[in-house]
Amino acid sequence: MKTKTESKRQAIIQAAAEVFREVGFDRASMSDIRERFGGSKATLYNYFPSKEKLFFEVMHHAKELELEAITGELDADADDLKRELVRFGQKFIAVLYSAETIAVRRLAIAESRHSDIGKLSFEQATVPIEKQVAEFLRRVMKRGELRTADPKIAAMHLLSLLESELLQRVLLGVIDSVKPEAINGAVRRAVDVFVSGYERR
Amino acid sequence: MTKSDSKRQAILENAYQLFRAQGFDGTSMADITSQVGGSKATLYSHFPSKEELFVECMMAALENYMSDTLKHLDASRSDPEAALRNFGTSVLNFICSPEQVEVRRLMIAEAARSGTGRLFFDKITALRSQISSFLAACMASGLLLRDDPDLAADHLGALLEAEILEPLLLRVREAAPDENETALAARRAVAAFLRAYAPTAPRIKVAAGLNAHVRRLPSHEL
Repeated sequence: MKTKTESKRQAIIQAAAEVFREVGFDRASMSDIRERFGGSKATLYNYFPSKEKLFFEVMHHAKELELEAITGELDADADDLKRELVRFGQKFIAVLYSAETIAVRRLAIAESRHSDIGKLSFEQATVPIEKQVAEFLRRVMKRGELRTADPKIAAMHLLSLLESELLQRVLLGVIDSVKPEAINGAVRRAVDVFVSGYERR
Repeated sequence: MTKSDSKRQAILENAYQLFRAQGFDGTSMADITSQVGGSKATLYSHFPSKEELFVECMMAALENYMSDTLKHLDASRSDPEAALRNFGTSVLNFICSPEQVEVRRLMIAEAARSGTGRLFFDKITALRSQISSFLAACMASGLLLRDDPDLAADHLGALLEAEILEPLLLRVREAAPDENETALAARRAVAAFLRAYAPTAPRIKVAAGLNAHVRRLPSHEL
């Protein structure tokens, strides 16, 4: 087996991204992707054993970076904690509930039965985001604006609350997309409950 | 159990095994008939479509479990914290079992593709409404802040699942949590929930320009 190189890997991901964008996941085939990047079928499969893995890689990287960037903007010194959380939550959920991210999440859950896609998704996306949110909350707790609690658990509570009204509908495909006003309302209610649950009294 | 009930039960059990082994697309009504015995007409007299059969057998265990567990949720008791904690621990123990995690994976994997998402969602909504009625009773008797009980049920559910479910669904961990772990997660979730919905806890004044109580959109408008 030839050594794999990062530049070839990136070239394949790039080609796949184009093909998926043009024809969608279902209609895209591994041979379309092979044609686009110009290598052999053996090379392609050597890097990515299935269309699912490739799709996951493509979508995951784009959205993962965006979500991390949004989370990185959380400012523990903001004057108004609630406003800061609402601002974060609305941006975060808007990306998380884009059609592409939903497709990747569903795939990660479905494929985790027979591959490590789920694990990858958790380690590459969930863990770093939870850590960032926990660090933010740790500083807010230290400042005395929220009661002292385990910031890691509080971060999980916050992230889960942000999704509480919409997750089932979206994962089950009951709705294809969520309107911004639905996201905004759900996020405000979640932040209200989170802050009441963790405020100092 | 009548003859018809036991037939129905046999169909559900066999279909469940087939769906789990072969997925929704890979399982036909003919496969199920040949496994259970009897005619296709009998099968269809119990379940009008493969979609409905799929949803029934994926949800049956959860529905049975919840209806047993919800009997213990009694709003007339003076200690809603203990009641919610026991309820939460019990629900977590059940939904984190390897069997139920696998069912949930399969449900999510197939729901959007097979067009069964709406059927699943309706069943989940019906289960949630049983929790909402408990919360509504607590609100009526002044144990909890008056608010939308369906919303409160969504928030409670999200808090309960927050620590444990995702790593299991994504197979980051294989082992189901033990009683200690679920009890601890439920305790923390219920503590946050009760603070947030305490009757004495004023809803924090919302920052200027942010209206927290924007009308909740009905599901068809989302």
